[in-house]
Amino acid sequence: MITFLELLANGISVGTVYALIALGFVIIFKATEVLNFAHASLLLVGGFIIAKLHASVGFWLALLIGIAGAALVGALIEFLVIRRANVASHSVLAIATIGIDIVLTTELTREIGADVLALGDPWRDQVLHLGAVSIAQTRVAALVVATVLITAFLLAFKYTNWGIAMRATAEDSETAALMGVRRGRVSMGAWAIAGALAAVAALFLCVFPTPGLDRSTTFAAMKAFPAAILGGLDSTTGALVGGLIIGVTEALMSGYQNDMVFLGRGIGDVAPFLVMIVILLIRPAGLFGTRELARV
Amino acid sequence: MGIPRSPARRIAAIALLALAVASCASEKATGGAPAASAVGGDGVKTGPGVTADTITLGLMTDLTGPYASFGKSLTQAQQLYFEQINTAGGVCGRKLETIVRDHGYDVQKAVAAYTEIGPKSVALAHVVGSPMVNALKQRIEADQMLTIPMAWATGLLGSKPIQVTATTYDIDMINGVDFLVKEKGIKSGDKIGHLYFEGDYGESALNGSKYAAEKLGLTVVEQKIKATDQDMSAQVAAFKAEDVKAILVSVGPKQTASLVGVSLAKGMDVPFVGSNSAYSPQLLPTPAGPALLKDFYYMTGGAPISSDQPAMKKLAADYAAKYPGVEIDSGVSAGYSAAGIVVDALKKACESKDLTRAGVVAAHRSQSAWGEAFGTSMDFTTFDKPASLLSYVAKPDKAALGGSVIYREAAASDLAKEYQVPVG
Amino acid sequence: MSRRTLLWSAVLLAAAVIAPFYLEGFWLQAGLFAMSAAVGAIGINLLTGATGQLSMGHAFFLAIGAYAYVYFASEPGQGGGHALAGLGLPTPVAAILAVVVAGVAGGVFSPIAGRLKGAYLGIATLALVFLGQHLLFNVEPVTGGFNGRAVPPMELFGLVFADSPALVVAQVPFGALERLWFLGLAVVVCAGLFARGVLRGRPGRAMNTIRDHEIAAGVMGVPVARYRAGVFVLSSMYGGLAGVLIALVFQRTVPEYFGLLLSLDYLAMIIIGGLGSVAGAVIGAVFISMLPQLLTRYSDALPLVAEPGSGGVSPAEAARILYGAAVVVIVLFLPGGLFGLAGRLRLPLGRRAAPVLATKTPSPDTRN
Repeated sequence: MITFLELLANGISVGTVYALIALGFVIIFKATEVLNFAHASLLLVGGFIIAKLHASVGFWLALLIGIAGAALVGALIEFLVIRRANVASHSVLAIATIGIDIVLTTELTREIGADVLALGDPWRDQVLHLGAVSIAQTRVAALVVATVLITAFLLAFKYTNWGIAMRATAEDSETAALMGVRRGRVSMGAWAIAGALAAVAALFLCVFPTPGLDRSTTFAAMKAFPAAILGGLDSTTGALVGGLIIGVTEALMSGYQNDMVFLGRGIGDVAPFLVMIVILLIRPAGLFGTRELARV
Repeated sequence: MGIPRSPARRIAAIALLALAVASCASEKATGGAPAASAVGGDGVKTGPGVTADTITLGLMTDLTGPYASFGKSLTQAQQLYFEQINTAGGVCGRKLETIVRDHGYDVQKAVAAYTEIGPKSVALAHVVGSPMVNALKQRIEADQMLTIPMAWATGLLGSKPIQVTATTYDIDMINGVDFLVKEKGIKSGDKIGHLYFEGDYGESALNGSKYAAEKLGLTVVEQKIKATDQDMSAQVAAFKAEDVKAILVSVGPKQTASLVGVSLAKGMDVPFVGSNSAYSPQLLPTPAGPALLKDFYYMTGGAPISSDQPAMKKLAADYAAKYPGVEIDSGVSAGYSAAGIVVDALKKACESKDLTRAGVVAAHRSQSAWGEAFGTSMDFTTFDKPASLLSYVAKPDKAALGGSVIYREAAASDLAKEYQVPVG
Repeated sequence: MSRRTLLWSAVLLAAAVIAPFYLEGFWLQAGLFAMSAAVGAIGINLLTGATGQLSMGHAFFLAIGAYAYVYFASEPGQGGGHALAGLGLPTPVAAILAVVVAGVAGGVFSPIAGRLKGAYLGIATLALVFLGQHLLFNVEPVTGGFNGRAVPPMELFGLVFADSPALVVAQVPFGALERLWFLGLAVVVCAGLFARGVLRGRPGRAMNTIRDHEIAAGVMGVPVARYRAGVFVLSSMYGGLAGVLIALVFQRTVPEYFGLLLSLDYLAMIIIGGLGSVAGAVIGAVFISMLPQLLTRYSDALPLVAEPGSGGVSPAEAARILYGAAVVVIVLFLPGGLFGLAGRLRLPLGRRAAPVLATKTPSPDTRN
């Protein structure tokens, strides 16, 4: 039972980090209908800035600069590529983001080399004990930060002008433009926010249970894809739920690996994708996604 | 298919004409006579990769992939060795030349690189990555190309031209379990954890630990992960639930750091024993450093560069002189001694006046005790067994060169001596 | 086919036929990689380029083709410390069955492939890659696990596609690469012509309509879901065929090869070459397969690119950056890819070729 609770706690806290990444996908998808494969490199940008600066300017300032830097790179991608591309389908733009990702990741991994860069966070390797269950403080911090951020965005979508403009754009971008919504500003804002979220996620992916930032940090972004999809690509609630489902599934499947040998060992990594496929079979637009009504 | 008749005929005609033209003026038109071996002026039989005054060696390394730093150390150390040999007059009156190809841990690139440099090389002084060696196995055997893989999976044994240096991962783990029982108070009936990578590295190691555990009455709790996993919390929880008394680690350095750090933080203070690829000195400055310094050891068949062997001391000094300011890791000694193996095989082959690839492999396989100078002695006469059964126990050390020191001198456990290596 | 394109194909084909008599092994092998990639890219171009269905799972179908061929063609035996199953069928039969199996695998996925589109399908197919690799590592009796399996050489009408027995054609020794070159060439030509037939005929127009306006397609009587699933199966079969070819060139299957990067490479190929056309797929395949090889080979002659092992931007990194940048630049400035560029350059000069090409570049004003 203790093991189960511990795995569950772990799963939930990792899940919230996945949710942060998935939220980035969702925001970009809502605003521009682009599936952003360059998200992994945004993570790397944010993490890299924090890792390089924390020794000289202190952790909190480094974090701020990292967030700003990743947001800037996100906005630049939107401004230089997404806005200018005039293509037949959004699949092509998705592939273009793969190109961006390759360029950024190659250059950053060249900079990082073989090093494992510590991020200099204040939580170090301290652990919080709740009865018999112990959980890393970094994970508690992740949980709190992610919850606050996700709630803030849910409210922002509902009540701020920017949120309304964005929802209008997602609904019908031409009509929104006619109503005076600046599409460019909305989509650039979305990319910048996704970048900022990626930097925050990078922080929590590279602290305590993992030793630091290195070239393989980008793989974590891969796990957020099923999270975003199974929640529904255009739903912020979906991102949260999807992230939690993926995190918990992964933790439980890895933890109980020995009881599931018949599935092959190492099933923990594949499980998120299996769950996603099952959910897509039942609900093709994900759990909370908007169903397309056109049926012919 | 909609091709009109006459153009189809025209295409055929052009193609035939092309075929006719092709037969003249092609450099490849040798008539199929084997140009493989020739006898040079000095009475030495030569083949591909050897001319009257040069011997060419191929290096297939990883300079851009996940093992980039290891590959760079290997390459630089080998180039240093070959330079030293050349300064001393070369081998068989010939200068050594190298062709370096970076495969970035990509199988297709490795296959392409072999096709390119294979025909020009007499031997491969190192190949990083067992998937790459595996993919090339058939060709290496057909070409009889002496190849030193920089990977220690059991599956690489059993091939005449492929020489795995020192121990394989399973032998290391058998010796590791033996070490735990003899010195760390693990006793019959205990459970030990084994965290390992999917693939031949992890699974070779697992074979060893399972064998040793069975013999010693221990139970192995397995946790398999992929190289992309970063956070070992779930695995630690599983180990904790099973109440393991020690943990074996056959994963990458980053996962090792996470495992050891999380375990200690959660109050699971057990000894950890890693395979030689599980540790890297780059981890010591990270937050996981203190945990690694506490009760973590790793098994290795090759001596760490901080050892007292005069050859190692000289290597460390020479390397630092040639590449000032470059960090020294396990790749330096591994690459240097692999280069030594190849050069000694060439020298032996020269003595028997046969520098063809087959001659080099035969000369190599005639040596039964090589490498005392670098630590442990290796037997190259059989190829379905590891060249050595002796593993060092090494321990991370911040101050030491290469980030680790010898904790126990190289020894072979009785279990390792009885162990039948699964060859395939 | 206009006379002009016919003439060009004849010249290209003639060049391809002469090539193995002159080129060294390295180039032949690079060419074979490109041929295999071309077959796979034609397949994914039918799906992503012509029908607008994003697939990130192409590597999975290559794996199915490669491993199915090995399974059908190998005799049962031992390897890597455990038993390996095999059916020992004649190799051409094994190759055909492998392609069929890849198609069946695509068909099994059709409940998803038929219903999903765009981003959803892209991520769903991403699952196939991870699932596939999990299977490759774990179903050891069939796949050989991490050790992979040796690939039995193809045997066609008594000719073995391997280095032995020796064969000399016109004074040139014909090894495995030279022999496979012709097999690969034949496969590429057939695969290309078939896909061309599909694209130019009724199905092709239906596929383009689905891509450009799904509802309109439905209204006009195109069974959208069935078409989507069908194209997915066809594209899987092309993937399987590419897998068989690459297995024959490698002579050994290794699970690590069939990963996500391979899938991404295929997407990059069709973008760079040109979406929705056979020639585009082939051009993209050649570009992506040859670029790293060229850079490595001539790294010493190129500015900014350092030789392997000497520090600085290595050829492999330069190739990655160039290739990523090429994808972005082409999306931004050349919506028709390199093939579209060739068409545009020829437009003012060639009178006859123009109308055919114009229909091939996806029109920019149809976002859906």
